[in-house]
Amino acid sequence: MKLPDRYGKYGVFGGRFAPETLIPALEELERGYKSISKDKSFREELSYLLSEYAGRPTPLYLAENFSKVIGCKVYLKREDLAFTGAHKINNTLGQVLLAKKMGKKRIIAETGAGQHGVATATASALFGMECCVYMGEVDCERQKLNVYRMKLLGSDVISVKSGSRTLKDAINEAMRDWIANFAYTHYVIGSVVGPHPYPQIVRDFQSVIGVETKRQILKKEKRLPDYLIACVGGGSNSIGLFYPFYKNKGVRFIGVEAGGKGINTSKNAATLCRGDKGALHGSFSYILQDRYGQINQTHSVSAGLDYPGVGPEHAFYKETGRAEYTYATDNDALDGFHILSETEGIIPALESAHAIGWVIKNRKQFKKDDIVVVCLSGRGDKDVAEVASIEGVL
Amino acid sequence: MNKIDEKFKKLKGKGEKALIAYFTAGLPSTKGTVEIIRKAEKSGVDIVEIGIPFSDPIADGPIIQYASHISLEKGTNTDTVFEICRELGKSINIPYLLMTYYNPVYRYGIEKFSKRCAQTGVSGIIIPDLPFEESKDVREALKKQNVYLINLLTPFTPEKRAKKIIKASSGFIYFITSAGVTGPREKFSKEMWDKLKIVQEISSIPVASGFGISDAEQVKRLREYVDGVIIGSFFVKKIIDGKIEELWKEIREIKKALVGEN
Repeated sequence: MKLPDRYGKYGVFGGRFAPETLIPALEELERGYKSISKDKSFREELSYLLSEYAGRPTPLYLAENFSKVIGCKVYLKREDLAFTGAHKINNTLGQVLLAKKMGKKRIIAETGAGQHGVATATASALFGMECCVYMGEVDCERQKLNVYRMKLLGSDVISVKSGSRTLKDAINEAMRDWIANFAYTHYVIGSVVGPHPYPQIVRDFQSVIGVETKRQILKKEKRLPDYLIACVGGGSNSIGLFYPFYKNKGVRFIGVEAGGKGINTSKNAATLCRGDKGALHGSFSYILQDRYGQINQTHSVSAGLDYPGVGPEHAFYKETGRAEYTYATDNDALDGFHILSETEGIIPALESAHAIGWVIKNRKQFKKDDIVVVCLSGRGDKDVAEVASIEGVL
Repeated sequence: MNKIDEKFKKLKGKGEKALIAYFTAGLPSTKGTVEIIRKAEKSGVDIVEIGIPFSDPIADGPIIQYASHISLEKGTNTDTVFEICRELGKSINIPYLLMTYYNPVYRYGIEKFSKRCAQTGVSGIIIPDLPFEESKDVREALKKQNVYLINLLTPFTPEKRAKKIIKASSGFIYFITSAGVTGPREKFSKEMWDKLKIVQEISSIPVASGFGISDAEQVKRLREYVDGVIIGSFFVKKIIDGKIEELWKEIREIKKALVGEN
């Protein structure tokens, strides 16, 4: 089976729940992506940039000290070492290059933690494109330095004051901009969400994570891993890691969502664990909503996971049992943040710290001979001030 | 016969064009919505669209976003909107439609939503984030209840696609006049005029234009190319600002432009 099918569906999920005004733009993007992504010169240029500019391949690092804490071999896929400090650059280099080849003059993006915004601003600077990033007012406040970084890179940052003033509202505002300006503007969505073909495009550009991991683990261990574990907000680093292993049924996928203050409270962002089916931001998937279909306000200590939706391909993996979805609370993530810093000297992004925290909490379920790969999707420098303030240090 | 068809037929007989007005349900209150729509009918509105507020209205500009937000804060939900519809069924004669996003409809249950529409006298539904390709379930459920799903077209819809959509449409075609979200604008583009003429020519059902319309002058320019105009944000703003008297005056003036007395 091909994922997605020709209607942009992953089983019943995905599709194109977008205003009529955007349909021709989405069709143009689908056609453009289909032809340009197959083009040899595009692939060569992207592959050159990923290695020479973004520093790929990123290492697959055997974290020996941390492995001792867990009781089995734990490898970290070091996306934190990719340029700009997270996996986001894989997607933005691909999409901005695509936009350029499609003749677009202007780039827009949404951002939560600021990582995707920074990665988009970076790619736009590199390709000499005008760039405008939408960011919720609450997120602008908790990630001030990233706001400045984007401005430094020549982008406009628009603080979004509607709704919950976080990632979902930034997406709403970016979509409104795109509806008005699609003729010369490309919208770089930062996760595997949105109307078809976005979930596919972002997955394909992020699949470099899993493709490298497979090659690296086979070289180091002469076998595939038992577990692939990654955090899930919209779900781009996780799908990028999982997808190239889709047919390797012996490899278990575990997606860790943001449990916030607990999944029995209203303060979490664990969409696949606690949500119901519905349509948000252009695709049919799971969402956190009330009984009338109004979208809930979410909470997570990490801005990058603070989102009430999730990519449709994850919904499909859940429905078919290909992946398991679970959660780590704010406190679990903070434990992960500290323990990885202390044992390995690696400060993880709070998003990635959810995957780390879950592994620590559930270490008893692993057998001594298991090989576990955790996607360390980003570096934690951006979160140091936030964590210090939560802990009352600053 | 669906009341929308009756209405357009009657207006055509009189040589008039339809004034279709949008109001966000629950604004200024549940009761207030019913009152406003009653008076709107008396002031000259031919068809009413009632918006079920949604938390994430991506096709709407700042005015309707704000209206939706305060309406939800006041506790408006899908059931209270159906209550408004039931009240309207007893007190007005013009057709009324619902406008909302796909998720509230899906979540309510497509079959149940369609039945409630029929029970409360709703003649049609507009769902701006449900493009034709995804609309089969909704269309079929509504058809069983003789409730119309109103399809949207834009200046950017290719002619072939427009034909396909028009063929499956009922009631009227909602022609979006410009790129972007709802809310007042000054000018219409050349693409809009070109495509509007094409759509009017190939459509066997009435065509009404909406998005960005806010005064009698614009309406006069559109008049001969459409069967109706749709006005939302401009009216909703009057309600938000508490300028109700101005609302009736604007409705009367715009309707006058559509009757073509000048």
